[in-house]
Amino acid sequence: MRRGKRMGRRMLEDLDEDIRDHIARETQDNIERGMAPEEARYAAVRKFGNVTRVKEETREVWSFVWLEQLLQDVRFGLRMLRKSPGFAAVAILTLALGIGANTAIFSLIDAVMLRALPVEDPSQLVLLKWSARNAPNIHGYMTSGDCPMNVMPGAANPYGCSFSEPMFREIARANVFAATTAFANSDRLSLTGNGPATVINGQLVSGDFFRTMGLKAAAGRLFEAADDKPSAAPVAVLNYGYWQSAFGGSREVVGHTIELNNVAFTIIGVAEQRFTGITPGSDYDVWLPLSDAQRITYPMFWRNRSDDAGNWWLTIVGRLKPGTELASAQAAVSGLYRNEMLHGSVPLFHGGEIAVRPGRPAGRGPRSDQMFHGAMPPPAGGNGPASVLVPPQQAPGSPVQARREAAGAPMSPSAGKTPVIFAAPPGAAPEGGPKTLSTVADNPEVTLVPAQTGLTGARSEYSNPLYVLMLAVGIILLIGCTNVAGLMLARAAARQKEMAVRLALGAGRARVVRQLLTESVILSVLGGTLGVLFAYWGAHAIISFVSSNQPRPLGFATGVDLRVLGFTVAVSLLTGIFFGIAPTLRSTRVDLTPTLKDGAGSSASSGRANGKWFSIGNALVVAQVALAIVMLVGAGLLVRTLANLRSIDVGFDSHNILIFGIDPTLIGYKGAQVDSFYRDLQGRLSETPGVKSASYSVMPLLSNALGIMGFHWPGTPQDQRSDADALAVGPNFFATMHIPFLAGRDFNASDFKVSATNSGATPTSARTDVIVNQAFVQKYLGKESALGKQFGESAAEADRPANPGYEIIGVVRDAKYNSLRREIHAMIYMPHSAGGASFELRTAAAPQAILPAVREVVAQVNTNLPLFDVKTESEQIDQLLFQERLVARLSGFFGLLALVLACVGLYGLLSYEVSRRTREIGIRMALGAHPGRVLKLVLQQGIVLAIVGACVGIGVAMGVMRYLASMLYDVHANDPLTMIAVAVLLTLVALAACYIPARRAMRVDPMVALRYE
Amino acid sequence: MSTKEQKERVELLQGTLDLLILRTLLLGPAHGHAIAKAIEFNSDDVLQVEQGSLYPALHRLIKRGWIAVEAGISENNRRAKFYRLTAKGRRQLAVETSKWDKLAGAIARILRSAEREGES
Repeated sequence: MRRGKRMGRRMLEDLDEDIRDHIARETQDNIERGMAPEEARYAAVRKFGNVTRVKEETREVWSFVWLEQLLQDVRFGLRMLRKSPGFAAVAILTLALGIGANTAIFSLIDAVMLRALPVEDPSQLVLLKWSARNAPNIHGYMTSGDCPMNVMPGAANPYGCSFSEPMFREIARANVFAATTAFANSDRLSLTGNGPATVINGQLVSGDFFRTMGLKAAAGRLFEAADDKPSAAPVAVLNYGYWQSAFGGSREVVGHTIELNNVAFTIIGVAEQRFTGITPGSDYDVWLPLSDAQRITYPMFWRNRSDDAGNWWLTIVGRLKPGTELASAQAAVSGLYRNEMLHGSVPLFHGGEIAVRPGRPAGRGPRSDQMFHGAMPPPAGGNGPASVLVPPQQAPGSPVQARREAAGAPMSPSAGKTPVIFAAPPGAAPEGGPKTLSTVADNPEVTLVPAQTGLTGARSEYSNPLYVLMLAVGIILLIGCTNVAGLMLARAAARQKEMAVRLALGAGRARVVRQLLTESVILSVLGGTLGVLFAYWGAHAIISFVSSNQPRPLGFATGVDLRVLGFTVAVSLLTGIFFGIAPTLRSTRVDLTPTLKDGAGSSASSGRANGKWFSIGNALVVAQVALAIVMLVGAGLLVRTLANLRSIDVGFDSHNILIFGIDPTLIGYKGAQVDSFYRDLQGRLSETPGVKSASYSVMPLLSNALGIMGFHWPGTPQDQRSDADALAVGPNFFATMHIPFLAGRDFNASDFKVSATNSGATPTSARTDVIVNQAFVQKYLGKESALGKQFGESAAEADRPANPGYEIIGVVRDAKYNSLRREIHAMIYMPHSAGGASFELRTAAAPQAILPAVREVVAQVNTNLPLFDVKTESEQIDQLLFQERLVARLSGFFGLLALVLACVGLYGLLSYEVSRRTREIGIRMALGAHPGRVLKLVLQQGIVLAIVGACVGIGVAMGVMRYLASMLYDVHANDPLTMIAVAVLLTLVALAACYIPARRAMRVDPMVALRYE
Repeated sequence: MSTKEQKERVELLQGTLDLLILRTLLLGPAHGHAIAKAIEFNSDDVLQVEQGSLYPALHRLIKRGWIAVEAGISENNRRAKFYRLTAKGRRQLAVETSKWDKLAGAIARILRSAEREGES
């Protein structure tokens, strides 16, 4: 091939000489035949034919003609662009912004939604999902946030991807898959043995985890089946990123021992770099064998879990055997599951442990009058596993003590609105009820979904804003294309004469079209190149913005990879073709003669030809304005949503509060020790200079975590369950948070004592004092006095002590609980005892400043206790609003960009119009037209276009904005104020854009204008 | 000459010209002008080759490796390029010739039968 090319070049070099020779010989022959030399030469040339064409055809033999012509077109196109740098700059910048914005958002979407799982052959991995008509009769359910789920109490058609450990073992044994693994979040782990104590996130995985994923070790070795045995010594595998940051990537770390929740683990290896976690967005620091679960977590939670078929907590992933159909694997697994569900017996509770049960199965009536479940709020920036657990020290049936497990863990509540852990009293299994986990009528089954799509993780949290943004940048690109198309049209009109000349000289129409398309593609490719830079910068800006809202870096790897580059290239080319095609077809459809005669479209006589493009030009500007309006309305609504959420009265004073979590139970504090630890720390912190008051609660307000408790309300049927939000708080909580009392009093020391006893194994007969909010009074009491009201008592049952119930001792003002968007519900505050807690410090000045002092105070009590989730309440709210802030900020930016682009389009059109009509304007002015009239002439066109565009845009906006409704707060999708404000803004800016060309028109010197051309 | 006529002729010569060149070179190497002359002469001047079209055809054949080019001295002592049939070209000539015979035979049969029908 290469040899051929070289030979071709040599042959072509000689071609001219060959042809000259040939003609010379022929001439010679002719002369010999008796022709006159002149005539002989002429005959020879005629006989030879068209020399140029022969040369061209010969050249075509050797070359990739199209490639050569392309180069020619490109060279010519670049020359044309150099000749009009202003046009080129505007067009390229416009396209770069459009393409850059699209690439940036796409690279995020790619990272979050599309990227293949970082494992070997991810297409063979499947996730097990269960579904049924009614909730199975289980007593524990936990998700690690790997997939969506719905196990709301009484929910019809529940589904999820958590299974019991016995189920997992059975599926693994059945050899359905080439390899089967199960995993779960390990909760927060307190790490010592590597510098100061820290809190890290771990994932408990079965022994086959790394084998199933097909992963290799970056150092040391990964788990083997033997590591996942209760008898095996505790071992840990580090995440590569964590290894780098915490251990400096030292290989010495293999064999090193660390303590997790006071248990010594030997580090045996580091997973390979690409593997950050199996679920998108997850970022576990360590992996631990499943069998170590009970060593490091609350014993009461985990004891017997491994053989409890009624406690579902493991996500199961299998690798399909080569050649096995998905359907047959699914049938096999589903069969095992069904068998277990229909024929396995309901496991009994082990007294004193926490009971967890997914509410009451529909149609079976309530089984308990006390029920706790944690419900996750809408996915508004939550960052932690969707699990709310009842601390084990708390006897079931006692006041709720909710703790957001591992709030700093990487997994976000995937299902968003769904509850995760339900605590039901022990013995909740009904007498006379079904003795199996499920019934035939419930039709329990398992489906296998590709792990790639099934493991959503944090993805679901980001998908909505990302799609809105993708739409927004799509519109930006459309405006950009329209804009450049308008500019090209104007140029095409100006180049009509050039095109006519080309066509007249015999250029094929296709060839001219290609030339023009090449020019537009050059523009878009240049724009795309610049756009990649914008995208790189933009994606980083967005990621760092997102990360700044997270306690930990996001587990998404972003970067401009091949797919993103491919996307950009495709978008650039399509863009070039899209905006190039109309002007191109337009300019090659010229009637040659009049165009050639005419003075480059400068006079009114070309009005016919121009009339057509002119209307296309107008239409393009209207389209741009309309699109910009749609963008601006969307942005306006989202910005107003953010403003509305920010100005919400949260019911407490969120300024100058420092929050931090601390959990002495992680390092072995028990029962009363925990309470006295908190009381001691509270006292010390209150005396710290700069702290006005200090308190604590089981979780901070507005942290996205929520506890709900069920109880029986007097006067309702015995089997009816009432519920209310519940939060356990320490002494002085209301004073610290500035939540005013409307009636009654705060908790006193004896209240805490009673509560602590009641939550122990042998409760007293004294009622637990509680404080309720206004909404509670309104919902349950109406005009009745709340103080002294008693509720929630229940008689003892075989395996459960009696609950003495609650008595209301105070009423406080309504305050937001978990999120800003969720309405204030009826709420019960109760005295905090045992379990983890989050401290709230009311400070005199900037809260962050006293952090060192706080750390010192904590260290005085115990040096081994890490603080976690340290932040100010305002930061907390910002995190809660992160999605809104992200979307508002970006859509605001894109909205302004759209406005600017639309105005550039308007400006370009009018400028061109003015220069095209310079002669006409000159004549008008020479005939005595007032400059003001000329000004009006131009302005009028611009304003009419802007207004028409605005009307169309508002019409479209009213049609599409309802799709945004779910993201809005306290503002209607068709909010008239926003619409009008946007329209006015656009008209004003459009006026400014028109004014510049209009003024130029006004200043036209008639003499110059008439001599124009 | 009008464009239309030219087109028809080019179509007629497409491929056929290659065959004629190969056939001419079977007699021995020749330079460009000589090939054109030979084709005209051997066809009793029926085939008026537009001489220019010879060159793209020659280049095409070289590219395909059916003929080769070498420098030489022409009959009147001028430097010239001589085109020579390669082994590959020789084989190709056989293939092309038999193809052509078949085609010509088939067309001739059709035309003759049509003629007879026209007579009857």
